[in-house]
Amino acid sequence: MKSNLYNHTFFISIIVALLVNINCIAQQNDASNYRTRFGFKTVKQADNSRLLEVSFIALNKEDRKDKPPVYGAEIQFFNILNDEEILLGSSKTSQEGIAQLILPENQKYSTDGEGYINLRARFNSTDALSEEEADLMVKDLHLDLNLAEIDSVKTVTLTAFTIDSLGFKTPASYVYLTTYVKAMFSKKIINEGSISDGAYTFTMPQSFAGNPKGNLTIVSIVDDNDEYGNIIQEKTVHWGTFNKPLKQDKNMLWTKAAPIWMYVVLTILLLGIWVNYVYTIANLFKIKKDGDNLSSEPKKNYSVN
Amino acid sequence: MELNNRKRELVKEFSPMLEKTSLLTKIWIGTLISIISVGIYAFVIQFKEGHIVTGMRDNVVWGLYIVNFIFFVCLSYSGAFISGILHFFRTPWKNSVTRIVEIITVLSITIGPIFILLCIGRLDRLYYLFLYPRIQSPITWDIIAIITDLVGCFIYLYLTFIPDFAILRDSPDLKLPGWRKKLYKYLAINFQDTPDQRKRLHKTTSIMSKMVIAMALVAYTVLAWIFSLTLQPGWNSTIFAPDFIVAGLYSGVSVIIIAMYLIRKYFKLEKYIVKSHFIMAAMVLLVLSLLLGYFTFSDYFAKWFSHKVADTDLLHTLFGHYFWQFILANYIGFAIPLVILSIKKLRTIKLITFAALIAVIALWLNRYLIVVPTLETPYLPIQDTREEFIHYTATWIEWSLSFAGIAAFFLFFTLLIKFIPIISMSGIIEDERRQIKANKKANKSISSK
Repeated sequence: MKSNLYNHTFFISIIVALLVNINCIAQQNDASNYRTRFGFKTVKQADNSRLLEVSFIALNKEDRKDKPPVYGAEIQFFNILNDEEILLGSSKTSQEGIAQLILPENQKYSTDGEGYINLRARFNSTDALSEEEADLMVKDLHLDLNLAEIDSVKTVTLTAFTIDSLGFKTPASYVYLTTYVKAMFSKKIINEGSISDGAYTFTMPQSFAGNPKGNLTIVSIVDDNDEYGNIIQEKTVHWGTFNKPLKQDKNMLWTKAAPIWMYVVLTILLLGIWVNYVYTIANLFKIKKDGDNLSSEPKKNYSVN
Repeated sequence: MELNNRKRELVKEFSPMLEKTSLLTKIWIGTLISIISVGIYAFVIQFKEGHIVTGMRDNVVWGLYIVNFIFFVCLSYSGAFISGILHFFRTPWKNSVTRIVEIITVLSITIGPIFILLCIGRLDRLYYLFLYPRIQSPITWDIIAIITDLVGCFIYLYLTFIPDFAILRDSPDLKLPGWRKKLYKYLAINFQDTPDQRKRLHKTTSIMSKMVIAMALVAYTVLAWIFSLTLQPGWNSTIFAPDFIVAGLYSGVSVIIIAMYLIRKYFKLEKYIVKSHFIMAAMVLLVLSLLLGYFTFSDYFAKWFSHKVADTDLLHTLFGHYFWQFILANYIGFAIPLVILSIKKLRTIKLITFAALIAVIALWLNRYLIVVPTLETPYLPIQDTREEFIHYTATWIEWSLSFAGIAAFFLFFTLLIKFIPIISMSGIIEDERRQIKANKKANKSISSK
């Protein structure tokens, strides 16, 4: 058969183009090929410390898959009030491009008139990378997780409030939160709902085994709230139904005495068979007795010749 | 009266088998006794010296003896199964086969367990097994099953022999020694072939034949469990019990075919053992070879696919050190019978017998490959030990005792067919009686019309 490859020039060119790996063309590692993504977030943690976290990643303008993290970049974190920057601390980005600063529970923040804490993260420019800066503002929400048995019902109560500069507590409302139980590899959602008038209550499901000591770790999370940002609260409680390790089945075949069912089954089987043997032998005796009663006449004999 | 004449004819026909012993038979019996004598000598050495004279060591604790035990017991169970089923057929052709099957059943269940005794290191402590049995152990189940089956098979065999003993007792002109005549009289338990006696005997034999089928299944399953309930690679398989049953039937049918061929040839019984017997047995063998091939493939395929280290080691041993044995046991052993039996033109008596012979050899090797390579590839690696402790090679002692077992089987078979006709005379009479009854019935209905 004669080849007519020339009739398909268009498809051939596409195949050739696909076969030529674009990666084999020398890459230019020029920073101008990249733009950067500078993400800033804050999480109020279970011990009431506050985590400030920056994610600093370079993005190739031409290849979306090429996203190298910016490693070793020094990030400064500030508390801002009326254009005044109060340095909270600094941290260098890890190999994953993450820089973290944990501020203790007793850290004092300056807040604006509405009670917001204004925070800023900054990366000062270098020869290769230009300056990056990101701001965010959050109110300091106090989230309490109470676990108590009320009338023998395991009840989870969440209270949330803010404290103003004069020390007055204001209950929070419309704060959506999700409550989980910590498992070995992930978290299992047990409830979702919104805090209203500073409180939210629900009954704990009964079906959790917990760890070998019967403890459950319950975690409530406010995720990316416009006013309060991210808040995590957790507590461990002895509410698990799994108090003892699972009793391992003993191999009954290794014990001194066999399980009773084995004796019963074997006895029935053997008795069934041996009784039948006895019945057969009894029948043979009856056959013999029948024969004895008959007279064995010589006419019954068969002559060979 | 008609039937009495027929009995006379049959006795006359089969009397040469019982009365005369040809020179060839004498040489045959002499040869078998010589082989057994060598086996007894080997046993004396083994008893005096211990198992050090065998190839069995710390790792491979089971060898030829267990292989022979499984093979013979498997033969017996399949014989019991086939014999039990044949009892329910009401066709004249079964009379030519039943006695062969029954004798094979009883002889193999008698000889098989002897190999277990040979395998026990401290034979002097054998009674401990009965004094302190562990009911949880499959070995105890097996002992119970074998003893029960042995007794059951003997009773069943005896029941089927009674009418023939009676016929022989009532034949005073048979040129037999007095003790044999007395023995026939004693064993015939005054069976006079009356309708009542016949009915009672038939009823008892029917129950026993059902029992024998059930017992064969149970006992053979228990034998398979000795292996499959342990965690040894290669043994711990759910398919073992059905596989053992099918394998047993495969070897059983094969041995029956070989026995039919030899008996037909030697005693010139072409009138009774006809080609259709071989064809029918060949069909059964064909189905069994397909089933067994499927089970074997399924078992080894699962082992290969799961890729467990111990199973992979075992497969390497089977396809490495035991390559030819494995190919013969699991490929050629199925392929040759399959080809011969599935092509109509090849289904001649000689070729069917050849296929059966290949099947028997393959099955024996298959049992060997189940026992020995598994023990050579345990879960815990064998280290710092002598080569002969890892790999098993049977010694002349084991081979002598194995051949002695086979010789004993042939010897007792020969002696038994010298004692009672190999073709069931009572079976033939029973069929003819049934035929006469049917004819009378037909005549009656015609005359009434």
